[in-house]
Amino acid sequence: CPLSMFFRKVFLNSFSGVGKSCLLLQFTDKRFQPVHDLTIGVEFGARMITIDGKQIKLQIWDTAGQESFRSITRSYYRGAAGALLVYDITRRDTFNHLTTWLEDARQHSNSNMVIMLIGNKSDLESRREVKKEEGEAFAREHGLIFMETSAKTASNVEEAFINTAKEIYEKIQEGVFDINNEANGIKIGPQHAATNATHAGSQGGQQAGGGCC
Amino acid sequence: IQKLCDRVASSTLLDDRRNAVRALKSLSKKYRLEVGIQAMEHLIHVLQTDRSDSEIIGYALDTLYNIIANDEEEEVEENSTRQSDDLGSQFTEIFIKQQENVTLLLSLLEEFDFHVRWPGVKLLTSLLKQLGPQVQQIILVSPMGVSRLMDLLADSREVIRNDGVLLLQALTRSNGAIQKIVAFENAFERLLDIITEEGNSDGGIVVEDCLLLLQNLLKNNNSNQNFFKEGSYIQRMKPWFEVGDENSGWSAQKVTNLHLMLQLVRVLVSPTNPPGATSSCQKAMFQCRLLQQLCTILMATGVPADILTETINTVSEVIRGCLVNQDYFASVNAPSNPPRCNRPAIVVLLMSMVNERQPFVLRCAVLYCFQCFLYKNQKGQGEIVSTLLPSTIDATGNSVSAGQLLCGGLFSTDSLSNWCAAVALAHALQENAIQKEQLLRVQLATSIGNPPVSLLQQCTNILSQGSKIQTRVGLLMLLCTWLSNCPIAVTHFLHNSANVPFLTGQIAENLGEEEQLVQGLCALLLGISIYFNDNSLESYRKEKLKQLIEKRIGKENFIEKLGFISKHELYSRASQKPQPNFPSPEYMIFDHEFTKLVKELEGVITKAIYKSSEEDKKEEEVKKTLEQHDSIVTHYKNMIREQDLQLEELKQQVSTLKCQNEQLQTAVTQQVSQIQQHKDQYNLLKVQLGKDSQHQGSYSDGAQMNGIQPEDIGRLREEIEELKGHQELLQSQLAEKDSLIENLKSSQTSPGANEQSSTTASAGDSEEVAELKQELATLKSQLNSQSVEITKLQTEKQELLQKTEAFAKSVPVSGENETVTAAKTTDVEGRLSALLQETKELKNEIKALSEERTAIKEQLDSSNSTIAILQNEKNKLQMEITDSKKEQDDLLVLLADQDQKIFSLKNKLKEFGHPIEEEDELESGDQADDDEDEDDAEDQDP
Repeated sequence: CPLSMFFRKVFLNSFSGVGKSCLLLQFTDKRFQPVHDLTIGVEFGARMITIDGKQIKLQIWDTAGQESFRSITRSYYRGAAGALLVYDITRRDTFNHLTTWLEDARQHSNSNMVIMLIGNKSDLESRREVKKEEGEAFAREHGLIFMETSAKTASNVEEAFINTAKEIYEKIQEGVFDINNEANGIKIGPQHAATNATHAGSQGGQQAGGGCC
Repeated sequence: IQKLCDRVASSTLLDDRRNAVRALKSLSKKYRLEVGIQAMEHLIHVLQTDRSDSEIIGYALDTLYNIIANDEEEEVEENSTRQSDDLGSQFTEIFIKQQENVTLLLSLLEEFDFHVRWPGVKLLTSLLKQLGPQVQQIILVSPMGVSRLMDLLADSREVIRNDGVLLLQALTRSNGAIQKIVAFENAFERLLDIITEEGNSDGGIVVEDCLLLLQNLLKNNNSNQNFFKEGSYIQRMKPWFEVGDENSGWSAQKVTNLHLMLQLVRVLVSPTNPPGATSSCQKAMFQCRLLQQLCTILMATGVPADILTETINTVSEVIRGCLVNQDYFASVNAPSNPPRCNRPAIVVLLMSMVNERQPFVLRCAVLYCFQCFLYKNQKGQGEIVSTLLPSTIDATGNSVSAGQLLCGGLFSTDSLSNWCAAVALAHALQENAIQKEQLLRVQLATSIGNPPVSLLQQCTNILSQGSKIQTRVGLLMLLCTWLSNCPIAVTHFLHNSANVPFLTGQIAENLGEEEQLVQGLCALLLGISIYFNDNSLESYRKEKLKQLIEKRIGKENFIEKLGFISKHELYSRASQKPQPNFPSPEYMIFDHEFTKLVKELEGVITKAIYKSSEEDKKEEEVKKTLEQHDSIVTHYKNMIREQDLQLEELKQQVSTLKCQNEQLQTAVTQQVSQIQQHKDQYNLLKVQLGKDSQHQGSYSDGAQMNGIQPEDIGRLREEIEELKGHQELLQSQLAEKDSLIENLKSSQTSPGANEQSSTTASAGDSEEVAELKQELATLKSQLNSQSVEITKLQTEKQELLQKTEAFAKSVPVSGENETVTAAKTTDVEGRLSALLQETKELKNEIKALSEERTAIKEQLDSSNSTIAILQNEKNKLQMEITDSKKEQDDLLVLLADQDQKIFSLKNKLKEFGHPIEEEDELESGDQADDDEDEDDAEDQDP
């Protein structure tokens, strides 16, 4: 039986302006907006993807990077299945603060939360301050997945989100996530009949206790 | 109280303290102020230290709640309300001054014990009610604060869950950040579950509370709306409206619930939301058949009026600007009995709109619905207008059409119907030039026997009859909308000669305040007929109308009257929201879309009025020139396009030609190498030939021959160079000789002789000449010195002669010295003879010298003749040189010509290609040396 799931994800990063909102916009709307208002608090975005033949809806909360919103963004760790930790490859300071934020994330989240490290703005090679190898090394050291993306050229953006979702999906298959527990940020529901399978209509009303076929 | 407080503070026994707190609790309602002031601190202390005992905590929380909350029952006494309000907020302020207190309270809520959790929830709720923003801020920054409160919804005990909903209501009130966190914590899911569990609209007050909380979460929160839509929660709203047709239960609670549910739908599709968000929700509502469900309520019987009204408003906003939904709405039919005469929902609704007996809000809602149906819906506008057109009017008269209803409303005696119908009709014309023209065709049969009147005419007729203000305002708004951006309608309007005088009369009159608005609208209408006038009517051209205003009204006055519209108190109210929402019928004056039109036109009309006719003309000229420019630009654009094509073709040609050219060039290089070979061969032959010809004649003879080889030319040049050197040499020799001759000439005059001069004459050597000169000079000096000696000697001889004469004379005179004189005489005579000897020798010498001189003279003559010969020779040579120069020049000219020819030939070669050239080359190579010379020149000259 076909299933649809909701994965919830959160962006987090210590600095504003690394392009989180642009990444989300590129992923959900497939467009790039060079001038973006500062994210106030949190913004929501969603997109349907297919993994392993299954329709999965990603619900993504884009959190503000500014320090003043930090206490607010912490509330979003609980109940997230995955997180994207974004830094700006043209700004060394955003990379240097990753550790603090990673600790914060680990402390407030489910220990199984999938975290992906993203070096954004890979199109600005000439202004690069953080080498790709450094990002890779950091990710290896902390057990994260790593990728460099460009929200502007859309390079690797799809991959970043889909790979995170895949990782979550694999963890579900392995039984690491308890899909009955909503706090893990995963919801599985039976799909309606295929005739009715619009994106909006594909999600059943009741939570179905996660019975996998 | 004091004692009790002391006991709470000092007693070491838990029971003691518990009893004391319980006593405080019982006192706290009656002696709120006293307990509050004295016990607050101790109670907080209890909360901190006695967490293990839920009972005492419960009492403490209850007491605090009593102090802080403004119980509704207590507020029955009107006077004390304000006082207790102040009291509550003051105590709240004291309590939250220490942020830890709130955090403490939050942590107490984790306690599962009912006696702790419930009063805790109540206390926090009242804190939030008292000083919402501050408490919200504290909860927001305390870690997991909001998340903890969310867990209350999962509490199995209904009381706590229900109070939890109330707590969240207070918590989420106008705080976007908290709203988002609450939504993130699955609030939608939980609340929708609760609503379903409670039986949707049939549920009790809990459903109402949940709906209010949902409204808090969604209103003006785009992120949450997006989440709500993406989370497929819209689908879950549909069952809410499955109320069925049975008239059984419309309890007050159900009405309230349904009302809130409808409002929640409206929150998602509000016109004030971002357009993208609203339209995606509208689509979702159609896809999950929510709209369809709402339409069944619309057509159902027995629905309470206020629910029906709100449903109409909801449907309005669900279809507004969304073509699919508008189309669906147009297709909805009212179920009827018998079913054969199904009426469209639109018609049924319009019937209510123009029905005096219907409630005012319902009529407004229908108008809104109609407006939303036509908003950005050209197709719908066309359909409505077409029901008025002669060709489509249903002759059988069986069913009433929308158009008929509108016309009926427009000219009914009910001013509200007039207004609504006018505005509705105006919306059918909104931003739709085609329908504005179509509506001009509408003819009305007024009464039997009279000819039909056009709709436009009828409107102005009714306007001039002077009726209720709403009727006139409605008609004027309709006319303004109709005429704006439609010059044909303006022409039609002006065609009726009564209209302009009526308008000017209205504006010019000095009427009371009530009439100011009508005056303003009249001014606007007149302004529109000026601004959108295409000058097709001679008597009402732009400038004539302006002159009229100037004469009858005055510009300033006109503008002032025009300004009345936007200064009207109801104007700004209408401009805020598209929904026609009036507290009572008297406020029904302005339509939202009309306010937009006024905003757009007020400025331009003012400008148009102030502008002189010259400026008008200028503007038109400018327009014309602009049009011309446009046409020119388009012309140029076309030209550029053509040229572009040509360019492309030419580019292709160029590239093919380039290819050919390359081929040809390789051919040429081959040819050149061939030619070179030919030349080499020719040169070999030439050299052989040259060996013979060198013997025969001078170089110049050879040069005269046509076939000069490069080496020959080189040689020629060298030879010329040699000749030049020769010539120079000769010239220098000549100069020497000239000088020599000069010298000789000068030396001829001098008498001196030169032994060596003869030798010099024969040779033309410069050194010899110099020697000769020197010799000559020395000879001259010798000659001079000798001649000086000679004169000396001659003078000496003269003296001696004189002396001897004198001595001879003296001898006879004096005898005494005879012997001396004789001796002297002999001596003198000896000397004299010696002198004579000497003179003789000198004379001989002179003779010899003069002989020598003649010899030199002869030599000079002979040398002169040799010089003449040499000069002749030189002249000849010079002649020869000039000749050869001439020849050389000729040759150069010839070479240049040939170069030119070669160049042109090359060009030709390029143009005609290889074969011709080859022939040329072959011909030239075989036939004449000239051609090869040309090639030579080409090689050498650059």
